[in-house]
Amino acid sequence: MSQSLRPYLTAVRYSLEAALTLTNFPSQEVERHNRPEIEVPNTSAELLLQPMHIARSETEQVLIEPSVNSVRVSLMVKQADEIEQILVHKFTMFLEQRAEAFYILRRVPVKGYSISFLITNKHTESMKTAKLVDFIIEFMEEVDKEISEMKLFLNARARFVANEYLGEFVY
Amino acid sequence: MLHLQPNNLLIQKTLAEASEALQAGAPLTFDRIISDFDYTNFHVSNTNENRTQLFLSVRTKAWQSILECDGGAQGVLPYLAAKYTRLPGVTVATPCEAGFDYTLAIDLEQLAPETVQQLSLLKTNIMSFPFHLAFQEFVTLSAANPTTTTVQVGKFNEETGNVSSYDVSKTLYTIQYRDNENMFIKPSNDRITVIFETFFQDETDKVFGKVFLQEFVDARKRNRDIQSAPQVLFSTEPPLELQGHLPQGNEIADEASKRFITFVLFPRHFANDELQFKTVAQLTLFRNYFHYHIKCSKAYMHSRMRYRVDTFVKVLNRAKVDEDEDEAKETKRTITGRKMVY
Repeated sequence: MSQSLRPYLTAVRYSLEAALTLTNFPSQEVERHNRPEIEVPNTSAELLLQPMHIARSETEQVLIEPSVNSVRVSLMVKQADEIEQILVHKFTMFLEQRAEAFYILRRVPVKGYSISFLITNKHTESMKTAKLVDFIIEFMEEVDKEISEMKLFLNARARFVANEYLGEFVY
Repeated sequence: MLHLQPNNLLIQKTLAEASEALQAGAPLTFDRIISDFDYTNFHVSNTNENRTQLFLSVRTKAWQSILECDGGAQGVLPYLAAKYTRLPGVTVATPCEAGFDYTLAIDLEQLAPETVQQLSLLKTNIMSFPFHLAFQEFVTLSAANPTTTTVQVGKFNEETGNVSSYDVSKTLYTIQYRDNENMFIKPSNDRITVIFETFFQDETDKVFGKVFLQEFVDARKRNRDIQSAPQVLFSTEPPLELQGHLPQGNEIADEASKRFITFVLFPRHFANDELQFKTVAQLTLFRNYFHYHIKCSKAYMHSRMRYRVDTFVKVLNRAKVDEDEDEAKETKRTITGRKMVY
């Protein structure tokens, strides 16, 4: 892990730990509804807490939007060039299509971000909060690694393929 | 499977099957459509009455342009006839089968392994005709104006013709082998330039293609072992050789996604017949090879992402509190499987 990544991840970890103090909270407006307050248009400001925005660079940011019974975590994954853009897009699409398996994954990312998670009080009740935080941190680490590995692979393959093709012309 | 083979394996197998069945005394009736790259179709058939004679017909997108590439002289017909009629038992069927471009009649009793090999190369042989013309023209051009030591890359003078030290033929052989993609061959007195025009339908292919093409350009510079390979150039604009030659009327909507790849063949790449064949076989498969490997990389990434998603799910599952297991031990159930509630 690079030196600048560590403080960034630590900051995200502490912020998440602070944000993940959720409680069951039935809707104040609609009777017998219990909905994630961060996702619904809300007239009662006391239910939403201050969003936290952590940025490592222009392309790597995390937005944590807490509310009384849900937290929305949005990640912006580094995309240095158009290959990475495509790889990130494909990868996040791939994950979002399998959102059921991920419980906390949001099918559509928040605008401007690559991928979003929505953690509600139901999730914190059925899962260990510390492990959930671990998951998000590990996800952030792994995604970067995966993208750069795939990019390297693509270049290596292209090089090999070109060498082999042109090698056929050497007599 | 790194390299694509110039011959068609299915034709080989079908012919082998036919000749085996004949030798076993039970000739088969055939009616098979065999596909190849670039919308090429083969039809292997015979009639019920005469099972020893097999017809091999071919239809390819490039046929029309190859037929006309020598100014309408249709030289490809005698060219192919000369290639195939020297093989025992092969004759050119006239007229060719309806809906196909060229038909060969094969007498199975005289079928030799060499013939099977040549027949499976039919598509490559058709495509090689413009190359053949270019090689011939190269010989006349270089005899008229031997190569000087100075090489002026990419610069030529069309008005003055052979006054310039870099003499370029005015003809440009075009093979329209796909709907919007062409191959151009331009002979000159010290080289033959082969230009591929390609475009990518898919946004991802476009980016991947860019990476691959860049590697084709750089491979020769980087690796000393392949210094003698043809020079490869890549551009998004039509190269100078094509100016005024680009066929009109088949413009595709997204002009910006067109790419031009230029191969510069030096005399060492077509010094004798064997080398000529190898070079042509390799070049005609360039587009297929290149797109094939783009698809392969995409497939690899797909399976890799699948695997990665699974590992993420595992990490997330670690967070789950396993209530169910503890519950299962403690709760009592009725004989029908319902939980007991106290």
